[in-house]
Amino acid sequence: MMLLQYHIPYDPYHNPLNNNEWSFPLLEVIHIVGFAIAIGSIFMQDLRMMGMGWRKQLPSELRKDFAPWTLGGFVAVLLSGPLIWTSDPNMYINNPAFQFKMIALLVGLLYHYTIHRKVTMADSSARAVALVGVVSIALWVSVIASGIFIAFV
Amino acid sequence: MSLFEVLQWIQSTRPATALRGSGLTYPIIMTGHLTGMGLFGGMIAITDARLLGFAMRKYPIADVVNQLRVWKRIGGVLTISCGLMIWASKAEFYYYNPYIWAKWSLLTLVGVHALVFRSVYSKPEALDAAPQVPVKAKVAAWLSLFLWLGLVTAGRLIGYWDVPDRLRPKY
Repeated sequence: MMLLQYHIPYDPYHNPLNNNEWSFPLLEVIHIVGFAIAIGSIFMQDLRMMGMGWRKQLPSELRKDFAPWTLGGFVAVLLSGPLIWTSDPNMYINNPAFQFKMIALLVGLLYHYTIHRKVTMADSSARAVALVGVVSIALWVSVIASGIFIAFV
Repeated sequence: MSLFEVLQWIQSTRPATALRGSGLTYPIIMTGHLTGMGLFGGMIAITDARLLGFAMRKYPIADVVNQLRVWKRIGGVLTISCGLMIWASKAEFYYYNPYIWAKWSLLTLVGVHALVFRSVYSKPEALDAAPQVPVKAKVAAWLSLFLWLGLVTAGRLIGYWDVPDRLRPKY
C-alpha cells in the first residue's frame, strides 16, 4: 500500500549522521524521551476524560498545566525526527510505515490542537467526552507503532 | 549450568524461538514496549518535575503522586514484560552485548532507588506538610530522572552493537 513513490536527488553518504557513531543513537534517545513526555502528558488528559484518573482536577486544568510539557515534547520530537530522516531520506519517503506515520502524526497534531483542545477546555460531563480521549490514545499509539514498523516493512 | 547456558536455554524455548522468527509479533511487542514508555516515562518525568517544583505547583504533591501511581504501575508492567520478551528472544546474542549489562545494572539501581526512597513516594502527604520539599525528595527526583534517561540510552544502544563474527553462534 505504497502511498507515493518519489526520489529526491540527495546522497546522504556525507551526512554526519552516517559518519559518526554517536549522533544517530543520540537523536533517537531525544526522539524517545520527547515522545514519552508529549504523549505521556496527553495520555493523562485522555485518562481524565475517560474518568480513569486525575479525578481531583478538571480536564481544562490539566490541559493548561501540561500544555508546556506537551509542546516541549513535540518540539524535541519534531527537531530530532527530521534530522533522523536526513540520514536516508529516500528510504523513508518510500517506506509505507513511514508514510502512514506522517499522516497519523499530522492527524494527531491537528486533532490535539482542535477537537481535543476544545473538549478538554469545555470540562463537559457528557459521556461522549470519553470517546475523545479514546481517539486521542488510538492516534498516538498508531504513530508510535508505525514508527517501529518502519524498520520491519 | 553456566549463565551462558541458561541464556542459551531461554533463547531456545519455544515462545522465544517463535518470537525471534515472527514477522509481525516482534514489532507489535516493541510497540508495547515503547507505548509503555510513552505512558510511563512521561508520568515519571512529571512526578519528578512536581517534586522539584518545575510543574503543577498548584496541586499538592500528594495529588500528583497518588493519582499517577496506578498508571505508572500499569505502564511499568507493560514496558517490563514486553522488554523481557524481546530480550528472551535473543538472550544468547545479548550475552555479549555490553549495553544490556549496563541496562541490567541501571535496572538494579532503579530497584535500590525504590527501596531507599520508599518513604518519598509512599507518603507524599508528608512532603506537602513540610515547610519545604525535603532534600531527600529532591535527590530522589533527580536520581530517578537520570536513571530513566540512562535506561532509555542504554536500551537504544543495545541495537547498535552487533555480535562479532568470531562469537556468533553457529546453528
